[in-house]
Amino acid sequence: MARSMMVGQTVAVARRILTEYLRQRRSLIFWAAFPALMLLLFGLIYGNNPSMPGSLDTTPAGILIGAALFFSCLGGTVSLLVAERERRTLRRLLISPLHPAAYFLGIVLALSVIALVQTIIVYFLAYLMGSHYRGSVWLGAVIVALSVFSYVGLGFFFGTRFAKRAEDVNGPVAAFGVPLLVLAGTWFPVSLLPEFLLQVARFDPIFHMNESLKAVAGRGAGWGELAGSLMFLAVFSGVALAIGIASYRRMLVEEKRS
Amino acid sequence: MTIVRFQGIRKSFGDKRVLDDLSFAVGRGEVYGLLGPNGCGKSTAINILCNLLDPDAGTVEIAGKPASHEIKRIVGICPQEIALYRDLNPVENLRFFSQLYGLTKTDREARVADLLSVFSLERYRSTAVSALSGGWQRRVNIAVALVHSPQILVLDEPTSAVDLEARHELWRLLETLKADGMTILLTTHHLDEAEQLCSRIGIMKNGRIAKEGTIPELLALVPAKAIAMVETSDTQATLERAAKLGWGIRHYAGKIGCLLPQQISLREVVHAFDAIDVSAISLQRVSLEHAYLEVIHDGGTG
Repeated sequence: MARSMMVGQTVAVARRILTEYLRQRRSLIFWAAFPALMLLLFGLIYGNNPSMPGSLDTTPAGILIGAALFFSCLGGTVSLLVAERERRTLRRLLISPLHPAAYFLGIVLALSVIALVQTIIVYFLAYLMGSHYRGSVWLGAVIVALSVFSYVGLGFFFGTRFAKRAEDVNGPVAAFGVPLLVLAGTWFPVSLLPEFLLQVARFDPIFHMNESLKAVAGRGAGWGELAGSLMFLAVFSGVALAIGIASYRRMLVEEKRS
Repeated sequence: MTIVRFQGIRKSFGDKRVLDDLSFAVGRGEVYGLLGPNGCGKSTAINILCNLLDPDAGTVEIAGKPASHEIKRIVGICPQEIALYRDLNPVENLRFFSQLYGLTKTDREARVADLLSVFSLERYRSTAVSALSGGWQRRVNIAVALVHSPQILVLDEPTSAVDLEARHELWRLLETLKADGMTILLTTHHLDEAEQLCSRIGIMKNGRIAKEGTIPELLALVPAKAIAMVETSDTQATLERAAKLGWGIRHYAGKIGCLLPQQISLREVVHAFDAIDVSAISLQRVSLEHAYLEVIHDGGTG
């Protein structure tokens, strides 16, 4: 398939998703309100806790990765796939020349726009609360981009395997996603994890998203220091793309049989 | 010129053979109706045509090429369900699908404008699909199938679940496409729809074409010039009287259908059943429904 056509398909999928979100204003409001409220809550907890100095600077990173992007990109992907099935548009996509990679990348692109808006909201509010971002903005942007990619890949995996109807959306997100969040030290420092759990956590992509963004924001960590986590996330993003394409193909095969 | 050719298609799901040596051909510019009871294999045949299923044996050729991924550009498929993005308006749906087919912006906008005009959708161009009535949603559903200017349009029960008025509107629309020379493969359960729209019909039974022909050819399967429908409490006497007159008998949904070998008046039919307790008699022209039952049930419905 010509590259220009694939780019066109990717942009078409992204634009369609964003237009639909704009029409369903309520979900956009919730996606903005949820991280804002979480930030306010954790900001009040950490901001008034002298035993955890500097926590306020790492809080926005945890909120962004663990609350905002988790639900918009992972939960959002699961919802998009289920909606595609329920509206029967999946069948229509199946009989069109849409390339599976263009479908995956279109969702990544649309959710990246949502993620960008969420990032701006979270860091703007954090700034108002007295939080400081100490590292490279570009490095932070790369971590957020890799996080979106990884979440969408996980969303494809959970969405195609475990969610057939709208009622099924919360199940896989809660059953598989939330334990990954906890293991990643989203809500507390990973230093509280026992050693064996810490070793397990190193295979959790959310752990690397969290730890690297917290390190950049809180300590101003650079590219070299985070090379290991960045490499893990880059490889996982590649795996996520492969998972996404394979899951989409599997979903199409199931749709053919339906 | 043949544009779609099914040749010896076989398909089984587990132990169940759904298609058994299915063969038929659709000519360019023809409206071909594929009829048959539920489970006779119509949808499986459509799915094979759309390259959604692989046959176990046999071949499907479209415009002289085997059905494959590339065929997606030649065939436009309108599924039975409304498969649209309901928060988007008709223009946004048409634009989205046209982008998937790689239309340039200029071609896209021209095509969208053309389809809005053909389907009389201009006044609803900015209305979310979810806010449109069932009939208008059906129009958008069909328009989307035509967005890439396919050579063949496959319509899977295009008027299911719409009211009578909307169905007639859709018929008018399909007549327009037919007049423009579009090749259409249509599946439907509405025999009046098939009779109105199709130039040729294949009636499927047990996974193959049991009978095929033009409407007059299929009507000729019914050995009658007209049918007298008789409602009576005295079935035995009615059957004996009809037999005595040399009229064939069919049973249509609990009523007795007398196959009249020549056109006679209602007065003559009523007179023929003198002294029998008959509650209602009506005369009907021989229709596709009668021909269909002749093929599917070897006569009436019992």
